[in-house]
Amino acid sequence: MAPDDIRTKLLTLLTTIAPDIEPASVDPARDLREQFDFDSMDALHFAAAVSETFKIGIAETDYPQLASLESARRFVAASLARPQAGST
Amino acid sequence: MRTQFRLPSLGADMESAILTEWLKKPGEQVRHGEPLATVETTKGLIDLESYDDGQVLEQLVPPGTQVRVGTPLASLEVAGIGGAAQATPGAQAAPVTPGADAAEAPPLDASRPPSGAAAPAAAPHEATATHARISPAARRRAHELNIPLTEVERAAAGGIVRIDDIERLAAAPKPAPTVDARAAMRATIGAAMARAKREIPHYYLGHAVDFGPAREWLTLHNAPLPVQARLIEAVLLTKAVALAAARLPGFNGYFRAGGFEPSTAVHVGAAIALRGGGLVAPALLDADRKDLTTLMREFSALVTRVRAGHLRSGEFTAATITLTSLGADGVDVLYPIINPPQVAIVGAGGVVDRPWVRNDEVVVRPVVTLALAGDHRVTDGRAGAGFLRAVADLLAHPEAL
Repeated sequence: MAPDDIRTKLLTLLTTIAPDIEPASVDPARDLREQFDFDSMDALHFAAAVSETFKIGIAETDYPQLASLESARRFVAASLARPQAGST
Repeated sequence: MRTQFRLPSLGADMESAILTEWLKKPGEQVRHGEPLATVETTKGLIDLESYDDGQVLEQLVPPGTQVRVGTPLASLEVAGIGGAAQATPGAQAAPVTPGADAAEAPPLDASRPPSGAAAPAAAPHEATATHARISPAARRRAHELNIPLTEVERAAAGGIVRIDDIERLAAAPKPAPTVDARAAMRATIGAAMARAKREIPHYYLGHAVDFGPAREWLTLHNAPLPVQARLIEAVLLTKAVALAAARLPGFNGYFRAGGFEPSTAVHVGAAIALRGGGLVAPALLDADRKDLTTLMREFSALVTRVRAGHLRSGEFTAATITLTSLGADGVDVLYPIINPPQVAIVGAGGVVDRPWVRNDEVVVRPVVTLALAGDHRVTDGRAGAGFLRAVADLLAHPEAL
């Protein structure tokens, strides 16, 4: 999957789990917690959406990699590139 | 029998709401707890749930109307004595008189509310204090022009408001809607907290708790689960607070009409910060009796509804005790303010690694500091200390939660 496709999908997921976020206002490099007061439930909703959409396993220790949209894109790209990347 | 469904008070200082949508048409059946209509408040959209089983006879208010608390919205034909118990005596005949309507709001009967919980009704003396500053004609004109009374009061700045003040307000340019919504939310929180600080003699206690056992249990529990089935730390805290509230008297219920009304049901208000600013604390119903997985599912759904700006009247008013947690924001202690008419609130600081003495050795542990604000009209510090120790003991044995 092309980096731009992953980026677009991630932005859609973000604004689906948090409809109160204006898509145009998202800075992909910034920490979501700092940018949007993400709490632990928001973070879990985002991780669950990413895991389901891209069919990748996400361990709790991987959560910090989902801190920003850009770090999440790198994490998703790396997971999809792994041959055994399957469903959770 | 025929009864009227009135706009309930959805918080101690709510004056009015805008009816945005009817969810049931005349002739349709409605069940107890089913949403009848949606209203817009300073805290977002809220579905109003029916108190009764019955049939909608007539819609009395069209969508888009601003209505005061206590205003009849619809007439219903209800079956059985549940309806009779709900009807306000003389409600059908009496027009809603300015100044008295807040006090006349239907009491959300503790035995038969939409979600099994009592709800705070507006305090009558508050209504009087507010109403004294606005002349009846000005009040009527504000209502006709759809000017929220919170706005009128702000403009009044303590003076007496007359009808020409209202005309001036109506003619004044309106601020951008988002700014207005935020200001309204801020005013709502300000009014509730000012009342809390004015009326409730708070006492505060803090207790540092080793969160290690809870965290270790959670890690093991979550490891084999897909992300959407995992639990978060806040759910363990909620359950521990709920169990302590169920076991120890004096922390769960309402202080109303000069006395404490304990509640047997434990509905934990979960303070959730809104991104636009402000916060809401909708209730997790019967939190003491639900397993962690169920509680997590309901908490998750609650946050989803808060983010979408769409809550239900039952959960909005049902909380019998509140938990506010700063989570990962990392300060050590949060000193909370009781949300009236409740009598206790627990604040949880961030979970931080701290030196901790265990078996005569200093070790690094994840530590959370819990703060309890209690109501001195109901309990003392000694009872409060017992409450916090009970929460700590429960967190030390997460497998039993």
